[in-house]
Amino acid sequence: MTVLASIRDLTVTYRRDGTEVAALKNISLDIAAGERLAIIGESGSGKSTLALAIAGLLPAPSRIDVWIEWPGLGRVPLGGRDIGFVFQDPSASLDPVMPIGQQIAEVARTHLGLTWPQAYAKAKNLLERVRLPDPDSALLAFPHQLSGGQKQRVAIAAAIAAGPKLLIADEATSALDTIVQAEIVTLIRRLVAEDGMTLLFISHDIALAAELAERIAVFRHGQLVELGATARIVDAPAQPYTRALLDAHIGLDAEPLLNRSGLAT
Amino acid sequence: MSLLTVSNLTKRYPRGGKSIAAVDDVSFHIDPGETLALAGPSGSGKSTIARLVLRLIEPDAGRIEFEDNDFLALSGASLRARRARLQTVFQDPLAAFNPRATVARVLDDPLRIHGIASRSERPRRIAALLERVGLAAELASRAIHEISGGQRQRVAIARAIATKPSLIVLDEAVSALDVSVRGQILHLLLDLQRQERIAYLFISHDLGVVRAVAHRVILLDAGRIAESGDARAVIDAPRSAIGKALLAAAPRLHRTRP
Ligand SMILES: Nc1ncnc2c1ncn2[C@@H]1O[C@H](COP(=O)(O)OP(=O)(O)OP(=O)(O)O)[C@@H](O)[C@H]1O
Ligand SMILES: Nc1ncnc2c1ncn2[C@@H]1O[C@H](COP(=O)(O)OP(=O)(O)OP(=O)(O)O)[C@@H](O)[C@H]1O
Ligand SMILES: [Mg+2]
Ligand SMILES: [Mg+2]
Repeated sequence: MTVLASIRDLTVTYRRDGTEVAALKNISLDIAAGERLAIIGESGSGKSTLALAIAGLLPAPSRIDVWIEWPGLGRVPLGGRDIGFVFQDPSASLDPVMPIGQQIAEVARTHLGLTWPQAYAKAKNLLERVRLPDPDSALLAFPHQLSGGQKQRVAIAAAIAAGPKLLIADEATSALDTIVQAEIVTLIRRLVAEDGMTLLFISHDIALAAELAERIAVFRHGQLVELGATARIVDAPAQPYTRALLDAHIGLDAEPLLNRSGLAT
Repeated sequence: MSLLTVSNLTKRYPRGGKSIAAVDDVSFHIDPGETLALAGPSGSGKSTIARLVLRLIEPDAGRIEFEDNDFLALSGASLRARRARLQTVFQDPLAAFNPRATVARVLDDPLRIHGIASRSERPRRIAALLERVGLAAELASRAIHEISGGQRQRVAIARAIATKPSLIVLDEAVSALDVSVRGQILHLLLDLQRQERIAYLFISHDLGVVRAVAHRVILLDAGRIAESGDARAVIDAPRSAIGKALLAAAPRLHRTRP
């Protein structure tokens, strides 16, 4: 196993209105090259902070004590080129007043040193790869003319435009219906396999994380609770917190919460 | 007698020179104390129906009867009075409230606006509402941005029940919450329903949650009702193409030793 990124004793503290929030405490974790790793855990547990720290995108007034090595890369990663980032809200990463073809071409031009015509050809190819219908006219479309699922495909196309080693998806499918969500998950899985990318998939949907990832890391209160192969985490969680998370999942076969006698007839 | 009766509701929006029906000839009813879920793919018209029922937008055709009133004909004071009985909880209360307002202020507004309690009585009412949704009274003095997402959603529910509504519209109200907090909020909603006979119009794209909390479900597709019925029956064995597709795509957690 080649280690892409080796994280040792990562501690992140945010500063806000004079107070300090310890968002991550002494996290140590190796990300294997080519693996699909999911991060799950309750809201505020530090999942996004971990992603931002790895991508070097933490906001300025934060203190970061970190030791991340990139043996799988051999150098310090460059955001946008070596690491692609997809957020929950695609509108957050797309410029509303720029045609989407130009946005994707821009990434390819900046990081791959392509000419504009080459970059546009690459953008069209990427829109085909993410299976956007009618890529020629989509190149000229603005974000508001696309549906939520289509926008997320464009955001993924932009994230992988420079051929990153690591793709980070932070709640990238949470706002989508199950059909579009399944399409996006299939798309991510295919792209990661085709390009040999490593995937960091952040979600609070345990069922979705388990379907996609080979390993799952569970976070709580800024700490890594446990990390293991997906089947082991799901079937034999070592920590009570992981078990509680699994039990709180409301699946399609869950016992209804509804007491039917509660309905006035 | 049903609480809400929606008949032949239609809402059209212009789109590229043409007009598309976001909601197309939709009819349904909700009984007192009942949860009716709306599910369906993105863009199928769920939020548009919620906005029509709340009268945030006007339909192009159709009728809405609420508590035996022609709801679309109401205006002025009679609309305001009826609105107190029909509340909503948004997906993101941080966007809906002024983040610098205190929790007490957010709960004081409906009590004052609807003349539910006198100025001297209101602090006691606010404390009672907080207790009702399982929040400590000390939280009253905190700003909205100083409490957690789950606490904020409880405040939003406290605000919604302040005016003693008979119907609450919940548009993806629990979708952004993590699983443990979401479970607590769902239990709270069901307790309130049992005790105060509140009905819910419950919109969610999580079919597991719909199946667990709703009595009946309507599956929408492109603005029309594709299928409706008992929530468990429909989700366990959908008959419509869209119902089958939504279910087939839903992620499943396979646990050999639950
Ligand atoms: N820019 C910031 N300034 C101050 N505190 C922050 C900032 N961003 C996050 N925090 C705090 O750091 C902690 C971890 O937040 P983070 O966003 O990493 O959690 P998360 O696991 O991604 O949660 P969610 O599931 O809600 O997205 C929380 O207590 C949060 O309030
Ligand atoms: N203000 C508006 N102007 C134009 N079109 C609109 C407007 N609001 C909604 N629509 C369109 O009406 C249709 C239904 O939208 P609606 O928001 O009701 O869907 P939804 O079922 O709530 O979807 P989601 O699951 O994504 O929230 C969509 O095609 C949408 O683009
Ligand atoms: Mg996050
Ligand atoms: Mg909606």
